[in-house]
Amino acid sequence: MAKTVLNIIVTFLILLILQVTVFSHICLFNVAVPFVFLYAILRLPMSLAPSWVMIIGFFSGLFIDIFTDTPGMNALASTILSALRRPVLKMYVNRDDDITSDAPSAKSLGGFTYAKYAFTLILAYCLVLFIIEASSFTGFSLTMMRIVFSTILSFALVLGIDSITGERQNDKKTPSL
Amino acid sequence: MRNLLNFLIKYSSWSVFIILTVLCLFLIYKDNSYQRYVFLTSANGLSASVYKTTSNVTGYFNLREINDDLNERQAALETELVSLRKSLETAKELLGADSIKLPSLSGYKFITAHVINNSINRPNNYITIEKGSADGIEPQMGVIDRNGIVGIVDVVSDHAARVISLLNSDFKLSCKVKNTSHFGALIWDGKSPEYAILSEMPSHVRFVRGDTVVTSGYSAVFPPDIPVGIIDNGWRDPDGNFSSLKIKVFTDFSTLSTVKVISSPLRKELKQLEEQNSDE
Repeated sequence: MAKTVLNIIVTFLILLILQVTVFSHICLFNVAVPFVFLYAILRLPMSLAPSWVMIIGFFSGLFIDIFTDTPGMNALASTILSALRRPVLKMYVNRDDDITSDAPSAKSLGGFTYAKYAFTLILAYCLVLFIIEASSFTGFSLTMMRIVFSTILSFALVLGIDSITGERQNDKKTPSL
Repeated sequence: MRNLLNFLIKYSSWSVFIILTVLCLFLIYKDNSYQRYVFLTSANGLSASVYKTTSNVTGYFNLREINDDLNERQAALETELVSLRKSLETAKELLGADSIKLPSLSGYKFITAHVINNSINRPNNYITIEKGSADGIEPQMGVIDRNGIVGIVDVVSDHAARVISLLNSDFKLSCKVKNTSHFGALIWDGKSPEYAILSEMPSHVRFVRGDTVVTSGYSAVFPPDIPVGIIDNGWRDPDGNFSSLKIKVFTDFSTLSTVKVISSPLRKELKQLEEQNSDE
């Protein structure tokens, strides 16, 4: 138990620091921003009470906000993502015992279901974030492109992180990325 | 009361969700006067020190380009110095040494600072610099770099400050076409970090592509004649009274590294005047 908690805390710290120092400064082709810290929220155990998940989500978002001077925007998006975690998982998984078991992963849910789960939530996050961020002069098409491409890029990176950490825990194969 | 508590406990996750959402919306839509909330900006101690550490590494990335720029600028300044010396001498010969009063930037102080955080791809971009009130930086000071204007200081903590970048929808600055008196408001249209818009220019005047745009000096933020950019394109506004010019800015925001914060000698007086006005 203590090991799990420590694991989660370390994951959050590493991803949040990486996000604010590296990934938030990336904007590929002026449209795609990678949000890697979402991985930490996606992998929180399902046994954790929804309120706690939302509070953790809120503060991680706020942390990003403070560094990028976007007060409240990431916080709102990640709060909504945290709130949607359970409903989305219920939508894709029929049996309840699968949901409550532990951290959602490709192993516990099956690769395809897990990918759908991650993609839906990341899409929700990008939708909320970029719609709020869009001000009068950011055109509709640019906002849509940002939503779509940021979602795809973040999704790819989340799966990437997953393949690194997952393999290291299960067998000692070198991570292939 | 007890029913209410029971209700809250039963729907605790909903109440937490609503509270957090309201908190976020408050942060997003509160007005811009959050000078009090320095800790909620990138100028706070924690983020400033994190950014300082990373900029220790990333600061070396564009040095070659910056060096080239500096060399060019130095050469240009040297040429200017020579021609100014010449014209000063001729002026002296014409008028006698004591009667000349040169308009100068004397009294303006420049504080050099390193950029530790910068963004160019959001609708509202901010820059964080590693000097703050301890180094004499105050809100509303102008910021320039070796090529042109950068932004205006917004929030200041002890050892860091946040600058509203030119690339920000809140940024507005009075600028004019060099050697004319036609001035307008410089704003950013959010499209490209290389271009800004000089709006509210008189529509009867014809402007030539390639003309230089400089600051007008109509405020204590920037001294006059700081270079801003060159005219790239122009069009008449729909209402017909004004025209707008597309300006290619001199400052390269993607490689911003060292900036100068301008402290004007008139700042205190103007501030006092403004405060008097707002009191009345």
